[in-house]
Amino acid sequence: MASAAAGSSSSSTAYSNSPCAACKFLRRKCLPDCIFAPYFPPEEPQKFANVHKIFGASNVSKLLNEVLPHQREDAVNSLAYEAEARLKDPVYGCVGAISVLQRQVIRLQKELDATNAHLIRFAYTNNNNTSSSSDDPIVRVWRF
Amino acid sequence: MTLKGGTSHACAACKYQRRKCTSECQLAPYFPANKPEMFRNAHKLFGVRNIVKILEKLDGPQRQEAMHSIIWQANIRDLYPVQGCYGYICRLQYQIRQAEEELHAIHAQLNMYRQHHHHHHGLDAGTAAEDMVPSSQLELGMAPPASNNNNAALTLFGHNPAQQPYAAAGVMAQLPSPVTPDQQQQLSYPISSNPVGGYNTGYFDATKDDNNNNNNNVAAVNSFWLQHTYGMNNNNNAVTNSSSSMGALQSQLLAAQPLGGIQEEVVQDYDEMHPFFDTIDDRQSYIDSKEAYDTSSEESLKDTTQSLEQHVVAEDELKSAAACFSLTSVN
Repeated sequence: MASAAAGSSSSSTAYSNSPCAACKFLRRKCLPDCIFAPYFPPEEPQKFANVHKIFGASNVSKLLNEVLPHQREDAVNSLAYEAEARLKDPVYGCVGAISVLQRQVIRLQKELDATNAHLIRFAYTNNNNTSSSSDDPIVRVWRF
Repeated sequence: MTLKGGTSHACAACKYQRRKCTSECQLAPYFPANKPEMFRNAHKLFGVRNIVKILEKLDGPQRQEAMHSIIWQANIRDLYPVQGCYGYICRLQYQIRQAEEELHAIHAQLNMYRQHHHHHHGLDAGTAAEDMVPSSQLELGMAPPASNNNNAALTLFGHNPAQQPYAAAGVMAQLPSPVTPDQQQQLSYPISSNPVGGYNTGYFDATKDDNNNNNNNVAAVNSFWLQHTYGMNNNNNAVTNSSSSMGALQSQLLAAQPLGGIQEEVVQDYDEMHPFFDTIDDRQSYIDSKEAYDTSSEESLKDTTQSLEQHVVAEDELKSAAACFSLTSVN
């Protein structure tokens, strides 16, 4: 009977024989409806440790409850990314990377502007140096 | 007796927690009372205890920067509960990749024009040297001498590995060292305290995440998350809502598109020009002597016609001669 009970209990927890990383870390029983279990597998303990250290388990739990179930995995992964970034850089976290990328975007914008201007200037100069015939290939191209 | 006009000046953090705000309140400098949503977002994401823990590890100037980044990050998470800052990073990476591809295409176009330019000016023996000078100004990223962007293209295409933003894993492995406070002041903080109004990337839609945005953003996150250690669903759909994502870059991209589209036309025309070169005097460029070319082609046609006519005439003479011969041969 004990074995039957054990068997029934094991069948109810067939998906999670071992507690999830969150429940392991928090040292609590991992229930079947544990909100962390699908996203914090026991093989990745550091993932939850980072998230808990920066954001806290209760905050993460509230955040996950506010999003749709199919969005939770993405939410957890983004939180894990931001937590790891904040641990590596306590001052700026992932915002430091955003600053760098934004500067790069601005630089590329200027580069595109300058290169476009060169292209236009070159094509215009080339056009002026040639005859004004409509059969000129460069002129023809620009008219397209 | 209470002082109704008393200056409570409780910071937003203490107001939210309904506690007395003392002069020693660590959060008071960063959460003014007139902006309760700032603290609400920060509290929702980090929690007071975690914020204080972060601050305690830092000294004076760094605390200010850290709080700014925490507030900013929390505001972004409030706007985009699913992806947060990570989604924004992915979007920036996508924009950068698009811009670099566009830049590459434009440089290819420039090179093609330059080759075309050299080819035709090379036909003029005396002007080749002069024509080389303008082309040298068209080197990659080389703006007018006064520009400071001389190295921009080199650093762009000679990727500094520390700035490769494509792979999420790459971003994680190469998170740059914090921007110094001076640098931070020089470049505007990535966004104002109000994320929606502070930056014109087009990323920040007016509305918060909804299902549609989430689906597209999930696709964007997925495509970059593949290479991250945490893994994600394999979804190769690039961000499709380009109209909302390109922002300031889009006008440039759209402007550059026709150049890429007409590249084939130029190539075709260039190929078609080759067979005609044989009929052109080497001392004349194809373009300069377009009228001469037309004239010469007409003349060659006339020559051919004339030769045909002459051939016909000769044939007639032979026939008549043959007829005379045959008549005489009978006898």
